[in-house]
Amino acid sequence: METASERNEGKPVKILVFACRWCGGIGAERAGWKRADLPASFRVIPVECAALVEPDAVFRALAAGIDGVAVLGCHVGGCRYDEANHAALKRMELLKVLLDTAGIGGERLCLAFGTAHEDHQFAAVMGDFHRLLQGMPPLAPWTGGGDEDSPRSVGT
Amino acid sequence: MKEIKDMSRDLLERREVDGVLGLRQGAYDIVEPHVFRDPGETSLLVTEPKWPMAKTAMKVLRDAPEGFRLAVVARGCDERALTELAKRNQVRDRNLRIIGVACTEARAKECLCDRPYPREIHGGRQEPGADPFEDPRVRALLEGDSRERMNRWASLLRRCIKCYGCRNACPICVCVPCKLEDEIWVEKGSVPAEMLVFHLIRAFHLSDTCVACGACQEACPVFIPLLSLQLAMRRTLKEEYGYEPGMERDRRSPVLKNAFEEPGTRKSVPAWVSPLEENHD
Repeated sequence: METASERNEGKPVKILVFACRWCGGIGAERAGWKRADLPASFRVIPVECAALVEPDAVFRALAAGIDGVAVLGCHVGGCRYDEANHAALKRMELLKVLLDTAGIGGERLCLAFGTAHEDHQFAAVMGDFHRLLQGMPPLAPWTGGGDEDSPRSVGT
Repeated sequence: MKEIKDMSRDLLERREVDGVLGLRQGAYDIVEPHVFRDPGETSLLVTEPKWPMAKTAMKVLRDAPEGFRLAVVARGCDERALTELAKRNQVRDRNLRIIGVACTEARAKECLCDRPYPREIHGGRQEPGADPFEDPRVRALLEGDSRERMNRWASLLRRCIKCYGCRNACPICVCVPCKLEDEIWVEKGSVPAEMLVFHLIRAFHLSDTCVACGACQEACPVFIPLLSLQLAMRRTLKEEYGYEPGMERDRRSPVLKNAFEEPGTRKSVPAWVSPLEENHD
């Protein structure tokens, strides 16, 4: 049986970050300017608001081989679009329940709220998330990469 | 069921409704949904087997002339589905009446149903529902650590022949166009369906809407226990917000509201939110 550490020897953990362009996105950029200590294997997609991140996009990312998805928004109460980040928060909480049910693990989805000047905390969140994902098994059975107990089915 | 037949006949005789949608025992032992318009015809009305009526009712009402008053012989799940459809403006429930059938305890167990009766019961007796999480079938699917669950669900969903039966049978799935037919999300022509995307998008779109009727898994030709994917989300909504899909006509899903209107029982900011705000005054 392949262990998580074996997997991670050759393969870096991939993280996809959806960052709201008002807060989380600026925080991410500033962390880069300041040369904060960041894991190398994340990519940021700026979005207008965290509430614009469709839960479906999280599935798409995981299916494409991403190990974890982070969604960054403004502080609750500090959203540029009034209460849109509340909706994002509630939706993502339900999404974590579904990911847990299916055995993917809700931890693969990281939701964080901060402001633009909290770049040092962005670095901390990314570091923690990266460490967490390193300890998790690969998603291979789900993405069709083979698994332990059943043969792969025949395609069309 | 005699009470249901009598009530249907009375409603039609008194012209309180223009039609009754129910199951008809036809020739050659064929049971099918039918809109009864003639009071005499209601002797052919049967209530078995379980038949998902909500979407049929929706289509009947959509094709009927304006102001057509329809009564539907509905079980608890059918009624909840119709309520959810009405919330989405898919059914004009002003002209809709429910003739409520309560299910037996055995059926509730079979269906993993925790509420096997409609709000108003016209036939049958109210029986206690079954807790789906006590059911051995569900427990076997949801137990174990996440690695076991991942392998279990992956091997179950790998059976999928992508017939779209789960979506088509679902009383709530009515979107046009459907994301599962959009190439951006779901690759066309690949079987089995890309599991993680196809099945989880479908499951999540129903997260706050699923009335747990089980039509998806009954329709599945390869016996994927799809309802068990929804149960944990339903439980979360109930525990967190006291929300059960299909129960309150005028209450929108708490997921669509802000954290002041529907804060949830625990706190306004759930504990799992990573503490970016630490050290922040």
